Amino acid sequence: MTATPHILVIDDEPQILRALRTILVAQNYRVSVASRGEEGLALAAAEQPDIIILDLGLPDIDGIDVCDRLRQWTQTPIVVLSVRENERDKVLALDKGADDYLVKPFGIEELLARIRVALRHSTHVKGSTELVVQTGDIVIDLARHIVTKGGAEVKLTGTEFKLLAYLASHPGRVLTHQGILNHVWGPDYGDNVEYLRVYMSLLRKKLEDNPKKPKFLLSEPGIGYRFSFDA
Amino acid sequence: MSSKKRSWISDWIYKRSLAYPYAVIVVALMTFLLFLVRERLNISTVALLFLLPVLLSTTLWGLGPGILSGILTFLSYNFFFIAPYYTLLVHESQEIIALVIFFVIAILINQLVGREKKSLEAALAREHESTSLYEFSVGLAGLNDLKEIASVIAQKTLETFQAEAVNIRVEKIYAEDSFSAVAGNTAAADQAQPVAETLLETARGVLGEIRLWRGHAPLSWAELRLLRTFAAQGALALERSALAHSETRAKVLEESDRLKSALLHSVSHELRTPLVTIKAATTSLLSHQVKWDSEARQELLTAVDEEADLLNHLVSNLLNMSRIESGAMKPNRQWNFLPEIVDVVIGRMHRTLGNTPLRVEIPDELPLVPVDYMQMEQVFTNLISNSFKYAPAGSEIRIRAKAIHPDNLLVQVTNQGPPVEAEHLERIFDKFYRVTYADKVSGTGLGLSICKGIIEAHGGRIWAENLPEGFTFHFTLPLTWDGMQPPLVKSEGE
Repeated sequence: MTATPHILVIDDEPQILRALRTILVAQNYRVSVASRGEEGLALAAAEQPDIIILDLGLPDIDGIDVCDRLRQWTQTPIVVLSVRENERDKVLALDKGADDYLVKPFGIEELLARIRVALRHSTHVKGSTELVVQTGDIVIDLARHIVTKGGAEVKLTGTEFKLLAYLASHPGRVLTHQGILNHVWGPDYGDNVEYLRVYMSLLRKKLEDNPKKPKFLLSEPGIGYRFSFDA
Repeated sequence: MSSKKRSWISDWIYKRSLAYPYAVIVVALMTFLLFLVRERLNISTVALLFLLPVLLSTTLWGLGPGILSGILTFLSYNFFFIAPYYTLLVHESQEIIALVIFFVIAILINQLVGREKKSLEAALAREHESTSLYEFSVGLAGLNDLKEIASVIAQKTLETFQAEAVNIRVEKIYAEDSFSAVAGNTAAADQAQPVAETLLETARGVLGEIRLWRGHAPLSWAELRLLRTFAAQGALALERSALAHSETRAKVLEESDRLKSALLHSVSHELRTPLVTIKAATTSLLSHQVKWDSEARQELLTAVDEEADLLNHLVSNLLNMSRIESGAMKPNRQWNFLPEIVDVVIGRMHRTLGNTPLRVEIPDELPLVPVDYMQMEQVFTNLISNSFKYAPAGSEIRIRAKAIHPDNLLVQVTNQGPPVEAEHLERIFDKFYRVTYADKVSGTGLGLSICKGIIEAHGGRIWAENLPEGFTFHFTLPLTWDGMQPPLVKSEGE
């Protein structure tokens, strides 16, 4: 990674490209833009950006296909942009290897936070996973299976720990329902969202100050869950 | 053999080709009988009796055989009964007069009887015609479907004309595609030429055609006339139906047009309001004439941000409404945790609601509900936002949920807004329906109708009520999913 991270934005709306370029340059990023899928793929190969921001509604190729084709040769983090009504597309893109998503219209704080998480993730891929994750007053020791909140140990069942460990080892990233279920419960449980609902509510009761207003274990409506790292 | 079943005797008597020989036989028979009693009969009695075969022939076989028997009678009377016998000579002038008068009377009677018979035949034919036509009209009455009408026309034509097959071809009328209706043995029809073809025609033009197959027996003139009447009646029925259809379509279009203009009116007003704020704030900030202090800048920008969110919400509502209307709003059900949905909605609306007190009373032991997460989020968002808009600022909004039946969940959202008159209670879920004036409260007038659309798509019911504790929205949701009970997820022992 170079000193100033390089961001490639693929979106067909010139106004959005203009706004994003202005904002991101002001934030000291290097920015390239593409208004079509093929052009974006070519730029991604030529310029090797550190992160790709990809709109799912492109005029020439489906954004999901762009995701798929990028993932065939690069692990560069991809943040997809989509409207709220398209939950299916977002889940598909995430399953195809996108790292995160943003609902249009979005606040710029949100976008910058996603970019930071994605960049950290891309450095993590190269290094080793951290064995101890700390967020707020919660410390999760992934190796020793110990969780503490405010210094006091929190007793978790086997599945609860497995779920928390999976979320915590992808800090700040959105994880789809199916992805979590496959990983924690096994490939046969991909559709049993009810397990996830129940266990998330159990985890929140044990770890959150106010389980009704979670700060760490966040719901991503229609998509999945996110372990908030910045909280 | 066929459906024509007259007795063979009457068949034999009425046989047309034998009518003239019969007339001759009858006259001969009469002559023979009278000849036997010639001595005892007065000549004028003989003359009177000779009228009988004439009458008989005319009545049974028609005018031709009647006239033939009149001539034969005259000849036989002259030959056998008037002196000198066995000649056709006439001597006494009185007898000549009698003969002429007799002949004239014979012809007259012939004609009268013949005419009577003819008019009887015509009356019978007309009766048959009008019975058929009546049955035809009765068959068509009350039918609205074009195809049904065509097949009734085909069936009735087949029955009335004792045809082998009938084919009705209906061309494209208004928006209906062309089609055919058939009756009878269509295989026979494929091979032969039809014996009759008549257009289905109205004042507006040709709608189609009736084709009729009946072996090699052509239609009589009367039958052809009846077929044309059928065609005219049938064409009218088809046209009436097509007109009714197009009228219904026109009404539907008109209605959707009316809704569309209501929508456009409401939408353009609602979309413009936030735009006014955004435009004013951004142009102020862009202006070089005023130096804004940081607090004012912050305030203007916050206004832009909030109005942009409002615009986004309006667009979502419009999209959802069009999805509900087009039937695309199919819930993507999963077993969900209702409190989680409510918490997410409240978290998201935090900024809008400010410090409005919210009381959520959802028991922890509430079973999982089979709902579409995003759609239920929309329902709660709209109900809470509606409560917030109409209730006095700072008054409490209460959200309750409980299982009211093993298979049903009842959710209530109560606010302290003014009671709504009974006449409006049903209608507040209609599109664009507002109890207050549109300008007083912002929104597309779609929020509640979207709730209704979503709840009904889930198999539930939504209604509003003025309760002592406040104005309340109720909705029910089924707890079972295709007959399945909510799953119980057991957590492992600790």
